[in-house]
Amino acid sequence: MRLKRKLFVQTVILDILIAIVLFLAVFPFFWTLLTSLKTRAQALDPSVWLFTPTLENYRAIFQKRDLMMYIKNSFIVVTFTTLIALFLGTLTAYGLARYRFRARENLAYWMISLRMLPAMAVIIPFFLLGRFLGLLDTHLLLILVYLSFNIPFTVWMVRGFIEDVPQELEEAAWVDGCSRFQGLRWIVLPLIAPGLAATAIFCVIQSWNEFVFAFFLTSFNARTVPTTVTFFLSVLGVIWGEMAAVGIVATLPVLIFALLVQKYLVRGLTFGAIKS
Amino acid sequence: MKKDLNPYVFILPSCCVLAAVVIFPTIFLWYVSFTNYDLAVGWEKKQIVGFANYFFLFLEDKDFWHSLRISLVFMVFVVAIEFWLGLFVALLFHRRIRGKRLWMSFLIIPMVITPSIIALIWKLMLNTEYGVLNFLLASLSLPKINWLGYENALWSIMLVDIWEYTPFVALILYAGLQSLPQEPYEAVVIDGASPLQIFYYFTLPLLRPVILIALLLRAIDSLRIFDIVYGLTQGGPGNATELMSLHIYRLGFRHTNWIGRASANSILLLFIITLLTTVLLRILRKSEVKEGTT
Repeated sequence: MRLKRKLFVQTVILDILIAIVLFLAVFPFFWTLLTSLKTRAQALDPSVWLFTPTLENYRAIFQKRDLMMYIKNSFIVVTFTTLIALFLGTLTAYGLARYRFRARENLAYWMISLRMLPAMAVIIPFFLLGRFLGLLDTHLLLILVYLSFNIPFTVWMVRGFIEDVPQELEEAAWVDGCSRFQGLRWIVLPLIAPGLAATAIFCVIQSWNEFVFAFFLTSFNARTVPTTVTFFLSVLGVIWGEMAAVGIVATLPVLIFALLVQKYLVRGLTFGAIKS
Repeated sequence: MKKDLNPYVFILPSCCVLAAVVIFPTIFLWYVSFTNYDLAVGWEKKQIVGFANYFFLFLEDKDFWHSLRISLVFMVFVVAIEFWLGLFVALLFHRRIRGKRLWMSFLIIPMVITPSIIALIWKLMLNTEYGVLNFLLASLSLPKINWLGYENALWSIMLVDIWEYTPFVALILYAGLQSLPQEPYEAVVIDGASPLQIFYYFTLPLLRPVILIALLLRAIDSLRIFDIVYGLTQGGPGNATELMSLHIYRLGFRHTNWIGRASANSILLLFIITLLTTVLLRILRKSEVKEGTT
């Protein structure tokens, strides 16, 4: 009886601790949501927690600040870089998963190392080359530059998924006269479709969130959503409601996507080193 | 069977793209770091100056050493704190909980929000006069803190980084805990070991590779940080939060247009990160081999 009670108390304490952790994790987002629904005067007063919400800030960011243009640019860049990375990356992943050759592991690990490339270290050559080629402030440049992290990521994720598919399935198809490509297309791809979808979503999130390249390589026409922070650097404390509204609009799509791939999250974060 | 395709048919297209967007620019960066190229002067007038840019950073640029020092301080603190907090959170979740998946999904929020937007969110909360943090402090009758002032700015940025990435460490460690084998535990429990002993002598050593991967990833990413600092302080006040990547930004783009010197600094940052990455890859490779043999 006493033991049972001790266990109960223990569980309650642990549950309370979890509640605190979750509260801390969610609070900034919640606060932003709250601020985005306040009027200009209320936004400056943190003691206001209950109020009649207004959508004024959201109207303002779409009408005055043309947020739609930023979203459109982000959408174009994210879509193309993801599609190209998925296509090229899957081919490479297949080569690395199904063939044995000398440079295989070195090549694979070199690709991971690209994920660590500090954006601020390579921004100078990207900026200069972009200028020489007249590509600054174009979607194309961002799409290409984002391939530098999306391709390696795709290769690692998809390679893991392909290795989970037994090769015998393909071999049976080869006997029936399928080529390598046909085997990949009709046998392997359908089986790894959920993994591919997850990989695509990760690419979308990464590209959507990217700031450094977008900030330095675009100036007006190809500005993406994360660069909207620059609206709010100089004007301190005046347009907090709009600032918060931008935060919510920029964040919601990523959050929804992230929830879809929760199952693969750890695998994605560690390039498949830890599969759970 | 008919003649098989060469593996490079599959691999070459990606490699060509990566050569164009990574290898070539990196070589170009090396080249620029040996010139005195200045955006304001123009590309045609640049000259090869050998190691002069590196000597400048090492011998004359006190801010370079400052940025290196605070980058390392930043790295050590956030990695250590995120590790302990992350381990704590991972252990909290490492038991039977109703609706665990839902609760854990809340944990994902900080790490998937766009980092530059995170800077906005925290700027809102950290403001001295109108921020909610000082409001909460005041309601506990504690003094207000000037979060983004000269003394506190670096710590505040650490706080934001810890908020953002503790869940990242926690999720990785949690996955590691969940994948540990059960048998050794049953044996030691019968032997009468205390939970703390079990944790220290069994769980931690078994978890070692996972811990190392998480810590190195965090160490590397904490050195790469730019967006959060840019959004919150842009390296200021003064140079209080001028981490390595912010220093590159200031040299090359903000106050001066010394692209040559900034490139040399970029190379040094690349060098430090390559060192850490080499260690990380070695561990990844080892853990991969182990997985393959079992």
